Formats: sequence, structure tokens, C-alpha cells
Amino acid sequence: MSGPRDRLRAATRDAREGLRSVARIARWETSRSAGVVDRQTAILGLVALLMAGAVGGAAMATGGVALDRDVYRIGVAADSPYSEVVEESPALAARPPDLDRLGRDVDVVVQQERFYVADSQKARAALSTFRDAVRRHNLGRMREEGNQSAAFPVVVTLRYADRVPSGAVTAGSGSGTGTGAESGTDTDTGSTDATDGDGTGSGTDGGGADTASVGTGGESTGDGPLGVPGVGGVGGLLGGGGTSGSPADISPPFPFGALVLAFVFFIPMNFVIQPYGSTILNERINRRGELLLVAPVSPSAIVAGKTLPYLGLLVGITTLVALAIGGGPVSVAAVVPIATLYLAATFVGGMFARSFKELTFVTVSISVFLTSYAFVPAIFTNVTPIALISPLTLVVHDLQGTGVTAAQYVFSTGPFYVGSAVLFLLGVGVYREEDMFTQRPVPLKFLDALNSRITGLKSVAVLSALAIPFVFIAELLAIAVLFVLPVEVSIPLLLVAVATVEEVAKSVHLYAGFRGPFAGRRGWQTALTLGALSGLGFFLGEKLTAIVQLVGLPNLTLGRAAFSSAGVAATPAVGLLLLFAPLVLHATTTSIASLGATRDRTWYLAALVPAIGVHTAYNLAVVSFLG
Amino acid sequence: MIEVESLRKTYGDFPAVVGSSFDVDRGEIFGIVGPNGAGKTTTLKMVAGLVEPTAGSATVAGFDASDPEMRRSLGFLPEESPLYEDMTARSYLDFFADLYDVPEDEATERIEGTLDRLELDHRDRRLGDVSKGMKRKVAIARSLVNDPDVLIYDEPASGLDPLTTNYVLEFVRELRDAGKTVLFSAHNLYHVESVCDRVAIMNRGEIVARGTVPEIREEYGTTEYRVFASVPLDGTEPEGDRHVVEVDDMDAVEAVRDRATAAGGEVVDIRTREPSLEEIFLDLAADADPDPRGES
Repeated sequence: MSGPRDRLRAATRDAREGLRSVARIARWETSRSAGVVDRQTAILGLVALLMAGAVGGAAMATGGVALDRDVYRIGVAADSPYSEVVEESPALAARPPDLDRLGRDVDVVVQQERFYVADSQKARAALSTFRDAVRRHNLGRMREEGNQSAAFPVVVTLRYADRVPSGAVTAGSGSGTGTGAESGTDTDTGSTDATDGDGTGSGTDGGGADTASVGTGGESTGDGPLGVPGVGGVGGLLGGGGTSGSPADISPPFPFGALVLAFVFFIPMNFVIQPYGSTILNERINRRGELLLVAPVSPSAIVAGKTLPYLGLLVGITTLVALAIGGGPVSVAAVVPIATLYLAATFVGGMFARSFKELTFVTVSISVFLTSYAFVPAIFTNVTPIALISPLTLVVHDLQGTGVTAAQYVFSTGPFYVGSAVLFLLGVGVYREEDMFTQRPVPLKFLDALNSRITGLKSVAVLSALAIPFVFIAELLAIAVLFVLPVEVSIPLLLVAVATVEEVAKSVHLYAGFRGPFAGRRGWQTALTLGALSGLGFFLGEKLTAIVQLVGLPNLTLGRAAFSSAGVAATPAVGLLLLFAPLVLHATTTSIASLGATRDRTWYLAALVPAIGVHTAYNLAVVSFLG
Repeated sequence: MIEVESLRKTYGDFPAVVGSSFDVDRGEIFGIVGPNGAGKTTTLKMVAGLVEPTAGSATVAGFDASDPEMRRSLGFLPEESPLYEDMTARSYLDFFADLYDVPEDEATERIEGTLDRLELDHRDRRLGDVSKGMKRKVAIARSLVNDPDVLIYDEPASGLDPLTTNYVLEFVRELRDAGKTVLFSAHNLYHVESVCDRVAIMNRGEIVARGTVPEIREEYGTTEYRVFASVPLDGTEPEGDRHVVEVDDMDAVEAVRDRATAAGGEVVDIRTREPSLEEIFLDLAADADPDPRGES
């Protein structure tokens, strides 16, 4: 009888053998893939890469990506104090202060503390940019003052105000940081938004800009702040500190440069997944992979061996890109999980696709979805914690020089890592003779993949839990997409979306199981048992979403709405109350769907409707309770 | 060496194999014959551990068919020759030798020796550019790269020209002579009859007959006797200067002898004609019960 030591020895031996098999297959895959590329193509590719690197490096050396460099032309005398402002701002270009050239070569002319603006949209935008530049300049000079109390006699604390639906406005409870004397102009008040307190000392910077001039600049002494030109309308909403209803109402600090550079990471990924998907599908064409299946190597080792070279390539390229654009280990660590999810999704696509044409469609869909999911939230890097659903946000932080916490890293990359693992697990489950070489439609193959992981009652709960990362991603994506809508629309939609995603995730493997291992047990008792087990698994896995607490997502209305039903609440007491209520919810609604799944697809879809309805009602009740 | 007990495989509602049982002794060539769709390939794949049986068991060289260790003792040749066509014969065989953990020197010697024996030229040409017969030889060489004790060949001569077919069959005999155990499937009964020591006839998912060819003939076939008489009798046909009649048993032969004597002649020759495996198979297939798998 083997004792623990013998078992450990056997396990170690098996692991070593497995790793050797993985290494063998990886070596073979590398040499095969390299052999496909002829010398001429390799040389051309290398030249293209070097040229791209040279262009990128040159751009970095000359100050990086700045597509808005010298966009606006400001006519200002060389001896004017405003000339320094123009020099400091990359978007502004200095021109001679010639009024005759206004509207042609010059957008704004500064003459003797008066600002002349051409009658065009660009000129008004130029004025707005110039205004921001003046503010920054003033702020910088104030910070250089030795006596900060004199420089900033008024200090205002920013506090977020709750957004109230139906257009009501609250008294300006938020205001930006004061910057002291503001000699800007206040002509008319323009549009008043009580929540805008822009912290420059004036409620709004009103003043319509007419064709000739806009307001007057403040008194500018040699060492005093410069007068800030007024702009009309939405000026009050510019600058720091203003709260708003949605991103549509604000101009957020857009990390344009960093985001463009971060996007460079995606380019090689979209190329590498093509040959990777092809090599996976190639094993299924004409049964080429059959002989690997009969060799003394496990399907896991085969898949790992075939994947490793491509993952290594992506990690290497990611590191090079990070070095080239000024990123560090954080950037690399943030991009690697994106790369693994790209590969994992491509692997599953390669296992499900029936032809190279289908595979192309799959890889393009993966590219579009994952790129969008990673890129769009990162736009709001400096605005809201929602941005952290994308690991690209971590890259932007790294490039901007702002650090990331461990919690933020786990939150951003966790779903990607876990999702990758689950996808690989799913694909390996159908890496066998019965499934690899069939021409079954993709939906049926997906059900087969689920069935391959159903080995008993416990596995039903486990599969539910394993769906969590995808549920998480879907829900975060829903938040990011619906964030732009008014609250009174976005929250109900989000509640329905969350309920739908979760009910499908909890029940689809039950539907598969009733067409597979549980085909002979379609009674209501089995359905209820499996429904309860699935609900339990989901409940336990859902607790992991408490990680959102660490990054402040529940502080957002939509974040609270999305995660409150998971027992994640703004206060611990309420959280405790909600801790076990979801268990009852999940068991109940999944049982409803399970009853439908015992029959056929139509019944299953029909059963999902009341399940989603109950779940949505629960979510609504919780959100209302939490306020 | 191979023991198969009540193997069954069901794909959804369709039972591809219905309770197959047979044994294969060490150093024996055992053939499975049957029409297309009889379940031969599925049976071989279950024995090779490629397909998980729905029920039943199979052991190969002392290992359960599902045991990955079993594969080290097994050489499998599928019906098609799915090769990696961007590789050369040498690199392809080197890869599989590496996969089976064959030491490099030993692998090189074995590969070159096998390719010499198979008379395979163009060993450094990409497999996508060689003929079907050469691909088949490379596939056979691959099945031997780990020097297995057991070989499972699924229609090894399928799609080959007669010359290459004979070559392959002769090679299979040599493997048996070298002590290998071969489980072999075919739907060409002549191939099976000429090579196999024992045979199982499979039809509609189940084995309907098994044994040596003579045993199967004796049990399922009818020996025909051609009796040549010197004088014409009722039922005889003239053949040269003799008259021949075909009868099914020795009693009938004696009856013909008596009639010839009564007619003033004699029986000058008796020849037997054993039924071919093909004839037995066709009879068995025609007499088979309705498809146990429920197909019409």
C-alpha cells in the first residue's frame, strides 16, 4: 500500500514527466512555426519592426505622442507675460500679435491684457485651451511661493455630491480647490450649474466671447497671477473639482498620450493569435492530431506545449514595447493577463471552429471584443474607479508615473487570469477524439465542452463558480457601457443585464448536463437538486466579487447597483444582512431555470424569463433598500 | 496480450459497438473484418485508448486501455495517414521518437533501419510533397518508432496500389515473426485471409463470428464437393471427357458414386472447394438479425 511519501513521489514524477512533455511539444511547435516563415519574409518582418521601433523611438525622443502639438495659434508679443504661458503649453503656438491676421493665421490675439478671438469654433477652442494654460501657469507660480498661505488663502475641500435624478440640482456642495484671486471676467453668468464650483473662485466663467474681444484680463503684475480670459457657457465645468451626471457632461482629464502608447501593446497580440489559432485548428483538420492523442502525453500537456511558445513570444514583445514606451514591470504585469486571455479565447475558438473561415471570424471577434473591453474603460483612468476593470488602466497609471496598489492589480487582472484558466480548462475538456474531429455546430460543441466537465453533482456547483469571472467581466462591461446614460435609465437596464447574465451562467451547464450525463434523470427532483447546487456554487464564487470593495466600486451608484445583490454593500452591517439572502435567491431562480432545462431549449428559454424576473425584482429591492 | 471484454460504445443514441469480446495472443495477427460502419474502427480506437468506451474493458500488454502508460507499448496506425505535411519524414519521426522518450541514438538507428526496410526514399522531402504510398510507409515507421509490443493497424492497406498493398501485408507478417502482436482491421477479406492468424467478423456493431479461418469455415461455411464421374448422370455437367456434379456433403458424394456404378461407370475424381471468408461473411451479413443498433 502506498503511503503519502510514495504518492508524493509519484506525483512529483508525473509532474516532471508532464513538464518534459510540455517542453518537447513547445520545442517542436516553435521549430515548426519558425519553419513556416521563409527567410525573405523573416527579413522583411524584421525590417518593418525596426522601422516601427525607429519611428516610435524618435517620437519618444522628441517628447512622445502629442497629436495636439501646436494646434492653436496665439498672437502674443514676446515680451508679454502670456508668451511664457504659450511656450509652456504644447497645444499653443506663438504668433505675432497682429489683429489683421486674426482669423487667418492666428486664432486669438493678446494685446494689452485684452483677448481678441476670431469668429470660429477653432478660435473658441483655442481660447478655452489658452485659458486652461493660464490657469496652470498661475497655479504653478502660486506653488512656487514660499508663503503658501498667502498664495492660497482659501482652501476648499472636494466632496462628491449624490446625483439626483430628474434634473434637480443640488446646491453646490462640491467645489474645486481654490486658486486664490481670480481676476477673470464675469460678464453674464452664462449657464448656471450649481454643482460646478470650479474652484477658480467664480461660479462660472461667464461671458460670451464676441468676435472682437472677450472680457478683460486681470491685473497682471510681474509676479502676480495672470488674468484668465473668460469663456461662455460650459467654462464653469472645466477644470478640476466639478461633479457631473455622466461623462457626456464633462471633459475629463483624458490621458491621451499614455493611452495611445498603451494601445501599442495590442498590435502584436492581434497578430500572434492568428498563427496560434491556426495551429490549434490544424490538429483537427484531417485528424492530424489523432496521433498525439494516442501518444503517452496528456491533452493538457499537448495544449500547454502548443501554447507556451506563443505566450513566451507575447511576453517578450510586451517587455520590449514596455521598454520602448517608458513603461516598467507594472505595464508588463498588467498586459500579460490580457495576452493570456487572448490566447485562451483563441484556443477555445480553434477547438470549436469547423473551418479556417470560421476561425477567422472567431479571432476577429476576440480581437474586437477584448481590445474594446480593455481600451474603453482606460479612457476614464483619471476619473473613476470603473476604469480599473481594464488592466490597460494600470498601464496608463504606470506611464503617467502614478502607482497602482496590489488591490487594484488583483481587481484589474484577476478576471483575466481566472477567465483564461477557465477557458483553457473548457477547451482541454474537448481535446479528445470524440470532439476534436466532429463537425458539430459551435453551440453544440460548447455544450459538449460543458458536459466534459460534468462528472457528478459536485461538478455542477464548481462549474457555476467557474463562470464567475465571465459574469464579472460581463457585468463590469455593462457598467462601463451604461455609465454614459442617465441614472434613471442606466440602473434599471443594469439590473436586468446583471440578472440575465447571472441566470444564464448558472443554468446553461444544467441545460447541457440534461443532454449529457443527466440525460437519464430529467425528473423534477433532479432539476431542483441541481438547481440548488448550482446556486450554491455561484453564491460561494460570488463572494469573491467582494474584491470590488478594495477599489471603491461600490462608491459609485452603478457599482452599488451591480454588486449589492452579491452582498457587497457600502456598509458592513448591510453586507452581513445581504450575505445569505443571495443564496436563497440563486438556489430558487436556478431551480426555475433547471426545471425548464429538463425538457428542451424552448422550455429552458421560457423558464429563464421568470428566473430573470425574480432576480431583477430582488436586485431592485436591494438597491432601493440601500438607497 | 490484448483482452477485450464486452466493449460498448454509444454516440448519443447510436450504439456504434454493441458488446465486443475477444482476445489476442502474443505474437499473433488478429484481424477484424466487416463492412463499412460495422464498428471496426471504433473497436480499435477503444482498444488503443483513443476513445473512451461506454461500457466494458480492454487491456493491452497488461495495462488498462485508459492507462497512459499503455501507450508506450502501443503502436497505432489510423486508417488515414494524417501527417504534418510541413515536416520531413526524418523530422516527423524524430519528433515522435522524442515524444515517446526514445534515446536519440537509439531513435536514429531505429528510424533509419525502418525506413531502409520500408524502402523509403526522399527522407528529407516535406511530407506534403510525397506520394500516398510513401506517406503510408512513414506512418508505419512512426508506429514502430517506440518499438512497441502491440500494434493496432486500422486498414493499413487502404487506398494503396496492389504492389504497395502486398508490401505492407508482407511487412505485417514480418512484424508478427519478430514477436509483435498485431490487431488488424480491414474490409478486404483477401487481405485478412492471407495475413491473419485469427479473425473476428463484425457486423452492425457486434462480432458475429471469431476464430481461425478454418474454424470459421467449418462453423459457418459449407464445403462444396465437386464429383467427377466417367459417365453422364442426372444433374451432371460435361467437363471435357468427364461429368461433374457439385454436392454439399460426403453422403451426397457416396450417392453419386452409387449412381455412377449403377450406370456402368465410376467416380474418377473428387475435389473440395472451401468457402472463402468473403462468402462466409456475405452469408453471415445476409442472415444477420435486424440491426441491434436500431438502424434499418
